[in-house]
Amino acid sequence: MKVKTFYLFASLMLAGSAFSQGTAQKFDPAQFPGYVMDEVVVPVPSEIFAVLDKLGDPNWKDELRKLSTPDSSDRMELSLVFGTVVAEGFVAVQAQDKQAVEEIGREVINIAQSLGLTKAVRPHAQSILDAVQKDDWKAVRKEFDQTQATVRAEMERMRDNDLAQCVSLGGWLRGTSSATSVVSKAYTNDRAELLNQPMLVDHFAKSVNGMSDSAKNNRLVTAISKGLVTIRKSMDSPDGSFTPEKINTIHTTCEELLTLILQVKKSR
Amino acid sequence: MNKLKLQCAVLCALFFVALTSAYAFVDEAHDYAMEAATPYVEQGYTVREDYWNGEVESGQKLAVRHQLFKGNEYAFWLGTANEDCELELAVFDSKGQPVHMERKTGKFTCSVRVNPPATGTYTVVFSVKSKKERGVTWALAYGYR
Repeated sequence: MKVKTFYLFASLMLAGSAFSQGTAQKFDPAQFPGYVMDEVVVPVPSEIFAVLDKLGDPNWKDELRKLSTPDSSDRMELSLVFGTVVAEGFVAVQAQDKQAVEEIGREVINIAQSLGLTKAVRPHAQSILDAVQKDDWKAVRKEFDQTQATVRAEMERMRDNDLAQCVSLGGWLRGTSSATSVVSKAYTNDRAELLNQPMLVDHFAKSVNGMSDSAKNNRLVTAISKGLVTIRKSMDSPDGSFTPEKINTIHTTCEELLTLILQVKKSR
Repeated sequence: MNKLKLQCAVLCALFFVALTSAYAFVDEAHDYAMEAATPYVEQGYTVREDYWNGEVESGQKLAVRHQLFKGNEYAFWLGTANEDCELELAVFDSKGQPVHMERKTGKFTCSVRVNPPATGTYTVVFSVKSKKERGVTWALAYGYR
């Protein structure tokens, strides 16, 4: 579940603290005497969807899509699919669609089985199904979050960091695709501002760059790498504002990548 | 030769025990962070399963860059398993201005709340300072509503 455990005992200068005089003054990255951690926690889709709900009443049922477990045995591709399926679960929770959540719960088990993670995932999947029966949507959302975190932790434990990144990447692409769809359908500046996520795109680009050569040569990872460049360009905004055109570019790019990821089955 | 093997085995065992205890304490730091989160959960915050943790030199300042979304409220919880520590926790926007509110401290914890004025990248800066020990454990978690 932990993103990264840090053991750091290097002695660094402690002068010029951001906590000078016991209270927070101003943070200057150039003068920061401490250690800035590289690891980034990727937000779960519902963290973004919660804002959209506060700004209106999106029709989340419109955003739901039918998923099927791919035939692929490629663990990298399956990891990407796994991320998108869990993100689909968040959309189904927003839509409060019991049947969809149950179907997604079963998909989660299927893919976990293909990834050899059944033991770790089954308790979460069962909890999702139990919570759906009780109409406890908050619990369902929490379980989807825990499922994704458990899978990534298992992959990291098995030293499959590239796969763990693919889970996050797949989830973020699907979450961004549905968020941009909702924003496009009822555009406002406040809603569009949600796409101001350059740090996350930089994080994913860096993750992909740091993958092994065999991972980087995967056709999906190569396509995602290119897509991230397009998305990042659209997020260049001096004042954090996003035009409908930029939103559309981000949406189209995410959709194209998701189509590639979810067509794993057809291409094999 | 046998004596050497025995010495190696003992050293390996000691190393394993030391490593296991370090992990145990780091997890304990997360338990304290979750303890600090409890009243926030009662107020409707969702705690993220993902978190950061580790062990550092006492007083070492650490920073995490984090994406926050305008419209959500966030709470960050810092925990340590070491006794008699001074915990610091602050959140800054991209211009370096503090944006955190309601700083609460406990024996092993520190919490702050943030209402992000804009969607974007923020920096969470924190430290754990011990009066007794050179190394300290820490865990940083967050939640939103």
